[in-house]
Amino acid sequence: MTAALPETAENRYDLGFARWVRDNVEGGDKLSLCMQCGACSGSCPIGTQMDHGPRKIIAMIRAGMKDEVLSSNTLWNCTSCYRCTVRCPRGIPVTSIIQDLAAKAVEFGYADKKENALFAKSFWWSTSAFGRTDERLVTARYYFSLGFLEGIRRGLANLKIALGMVRTGRMHLGMPHKIKDIKGLTAILARAAEIEAEEANDEL
Amino acid sequence: MPDGGTMVIEKKSGIYLCEGCGIADAIDVDALEALATGDLKTPHCKRHAAYCSAEGVAEIAADVKNGDVNQVLIAACSPRVMTDRFNFPGAQIIRANMREQVIWSHPPGEEDTNMLAADQLRIAVAQAGQFSPPEPHAEAEVAGALLLVVGGGVTGLTAALEAAHTGAEVILVEKTDTLGGWTRKWSRLLPERPPYRDPQPNDIADLIAAVEGDKAITVMTNTLVTSTAGGPGAFDVTLTQNGKNQSQSVGAIVVATGWRPYDPSLLEGLGYGASPDVVSDIEFEEILSSGEMKRKSNGDALNTVAFIISGDSDRMPYSSGLSDRIVIKQALQLLEAVPEAMIYVMHEDLRAHGMAEEFYRQAQEAGIIFQNGVVKSVGADLTITLEDRLIGEDVPMSGFDMVVLSTGMVPNSTNVDLEPAAKGADQLVDDVNPLAALLAAAKAGDGEEKAEEAPAPDTSEEADQDGANGEAAMPGGPILNLQYRQGPHLPVLANGYADSHFICFPYETRRTGIYTCGPVRRAMSVAEARQDAQGAVLKAFQAMRAADKAVSVHPRVGDLSYPEFGLDICTKCRRCTVECPFGAIDEMEDGYPVLNPTRCRRCGTCMGACPVRTINFKNYNISMITDMIKAVDVPDEFAEKPRILVFACENDAYPALDMAGINRHQLTPYVRILPVRCLGSVSATWVSTALESGYDGIMLLGCKSGDDYQCHFVKGSAIAQERMESVGATLESMMLEKERVRTEEVSIADSARVTALLNDYADEIKAIGYNPFKGF
Repeated sequence: MTAALPETAENRYDLGFARWVRDNVEGGDKLSLCMQCGACSGSCPIGTQMDHGPRKIIAMIRAGMKDEVLSSNTLWNCTSCYRCTVRCPRGIPVTSIIQDLAAKAVEFGYADKKENALFAKSFWWSTSAFGRTDERLVTARYYFSLGFLEGIRRGLANLKIALGMVRTGRMHLGMPHKIKDIKGLTAILARAAEIEAEEANDEL
Repeated sequence: MPDGGTMVIEKKSGIYLCEGCGIADAIDVDALEALATGDLKTPHCKRHAAYCSAEGVAEIAADVKNGDVNQVLIAACSPRVMTDRFNFPGAQIIRANMREQVIWSHPPGEEDTNMLAADQLRIAVAQAGQFSPPEPHAEAEVAGALLLVVGGGVTGLTAALEAAHTGAEVILVEKTDTLGGWTRKWSRLLPERPPYRDPQPNDIADLIAAVEGDKAITVMTNTLVTSTAGGPGAFDVTLTQNGKNQSQSVGAIVVATGWRPYDPSLLEGLGYGASPDVVSDIEFEEILSSGEMKRKSNGDALNTVAFIISGDSDRMPYSSGLSDRIVIKQALQLLEAVPEAMIYVMHEDLRAHGMAEEFYRQAQEAGIIFQNGVVKSVGADLTITLEDRLIGEDVPMSGFDMVVLSTGMVPNSTNVDLEPAAKGADQLVDDVNPLAALLAAAKAGDGEEKAEEAPAPDTSEEADQDGANGEAAMPGGPILNLQYRQGPHLPVLANGYADSHFICFPYETRRTGIYTCGPVRRAMSVAEARQDAQGAVLKAFQAMRAADKAVSVHPRVGDLSYPEFGLDICTKCRRCTVECPFGAIDEMEDGYPVLNPTRCRRCGTCMGACPVRTINFKNYNISMITDMIKAVDVPDEFAEKPRILVFACENDAYPALDMAGINRHQLTPYVRILPVRCLGSVSATWVSTALESGYDGIMLLGCKSGDDYQCHFVKGSAIAQERMESVGATLESMMLEKERVRTEEVSIADSARVTALLNDYADEIKAIGYNPFKGF
């Protein structure tokens, strides 16, 4: 569990948010190192698909723009290519900050209706259950998480592609593949969750 | 020709024609020898393959030793080089520049080049005719190595200690009752040693103890300097301690009067005064010293704090890189005391120069957030509205416990505790702007108008800002109360910094023998002020030693000559006393000028000013340059060879011309170049002489003038420009084109530009046509 978000006053800016990011987000303690050079935004391959580039996201965190940061599509459109992190002259883990902000956005309900977040959830479900992503199940779970009718509609729309993939052997029928030691993976993930909880408790 | 009443020695000239460095290949040395022994009537003319060789030097030395010659005319390289080799005690040395300004900047073997070489020789012979060896002035009395240090802060303490260690007796004068100044109040100091990352302990107490324990230093607290007369070597100062006067003769004076804080309530819109939790950096330093990190309003802990750096010079004229370093220091100290604190630094430009970059990075790594933008306002509830250029909108940031405003250091170039001097205010204004003395001179005799123009002493900051334009006076009375004709103040630069030129001539003021150091000169940290004090002390020692030997200090180091006044024809016009850049000339009660020789820097500005040409130096005088101008063989207009006379300042323009030769930039063959000590020494008579002699154009090449002047004598080039403007008017009244006289500013690095400048001017003069006076 993460420490509660600060209550934002009537204006869009709350310095408490910057402090909260510093204390609770992975890499947030490096925020002060940013000199706003923009190497991250310049390097981002999908910057044009983002509401705000990584540089501006950091400036907005500092200015305490909680709602705009947490509801920004930047957190979800990031492909984790790590170019920003590699190129940052100040060694700021930009990708980690953005990914953890995405997790926090989910935790605090900023991403309930975001398709990207729903897809990520389906993806994670498959990965943690089988140790692999099963395209059929990930897609199906994702489509139906948008609603029953929408699930049917999207499923039909993609039927032809799916059949084509089966025909050419790109997608199998039958039980989903699992990794050999699924119990081991489950144990690893359980331990990771434990560690995260301990860290959260320490910070509190 | 000056007549000092000294013994006249018969001049025996010898001309030495050097053939080295390709001179013999490029010009006709046989013709030069024929000219020397013929027209120039100098039978003693020798030639050598390289006079700078041991053989060549020995040949000249033998002639001097045998008494064959006492004036050595060497036609070889530039007078700026080989000065150590061509130095023959007992003989005067005159140099004709045949290398840099003839063979290296003109095509070899051409008629024009040979004409130029012949003229260079003629000029040298003319110069020798009016050149007498300078003798030391007799008046100098020297007090010995006793140094007065004014100001007992870290700068003054360091200066006193350094001077004592260098062997001087020191009197250290402090206005208040304690030593240590502002530095005593600092909780910690800026880092000055590697790794430059952490504030370091304040060790001012050790420095105070060292000064108090030094037997060579006499400390006088509660003391003001109430009068300063005399000059370097023997300043006559009056020290007033608790109402009691004490007279003292000192060799030189170091002024370390430091600074005072900028008034934070003048920072418009930054909320100072609206809340007790908006404090200045000086006040925050007290909070840090006390160790009580609490809000002033309600005693709550400081958890979220903003520092505001207003780098905008309109809002904050005294903000500097130092202000930014102080903010970093204070923020780091706060974070150390309150590790959980959230600290913002709002800045426009962060000026962390040099090693301060490490300090800045330390602050960032520690978690201090530097937010770029312009602070538009600070409300009474401590809401800061920041125009954040990186987000692109105005960001209202609230929730701060305290807002710290960075201020700045206002130089104490006057004593604000004193009433402005009755005589001083207008004269200080005159000196703020190098041109002002001219305006004053123009108005001299119109006392009423002048009195009206003197601005009333104003409240501090407004006046400080206006000082940049030289229009208003600094507030307060004089620090040294100089008993000089040019007033009691030390002249100041823009914004009231007391100095002469803070890059080219640091520590120097426009009053010889008085040196400034520390924040009175520019904003600086404790470590910088300590270094500065060392520099000023060394300058003071130079001044005392120079006074001892009756020679000049920088830039004419070691010059024995000094201006001599022919009072028999002096009209008491006072131009020399007003225009002297260093206040060296006073007026006697009867109105005649009197020189304080140890104050004089030998620029010759007085000589250029004198309308009756009665101010002269033994080795540099009106007749000498006049003869040199006339020595040039000016062809008639049918030869189609115009002649352009160039007066080149020996400090920057002449070296630039030499450098042009070294770089082989080709110069128009029509110019004839005469070095002068400073454009300020150029007399208007030389211009008329040149026009009468048939020159077609005259160019004055000097240093940059104005607020950011580079003139080595402060205002010589500005004065020359002013004078030439009036010459231009005279030319027009004589139906001559005013383009025939031109003034240009060049720097020492301008070798390519100076060539182009002269070549273009030659084309322009050709287009205008020949001087109608030619041949008359």
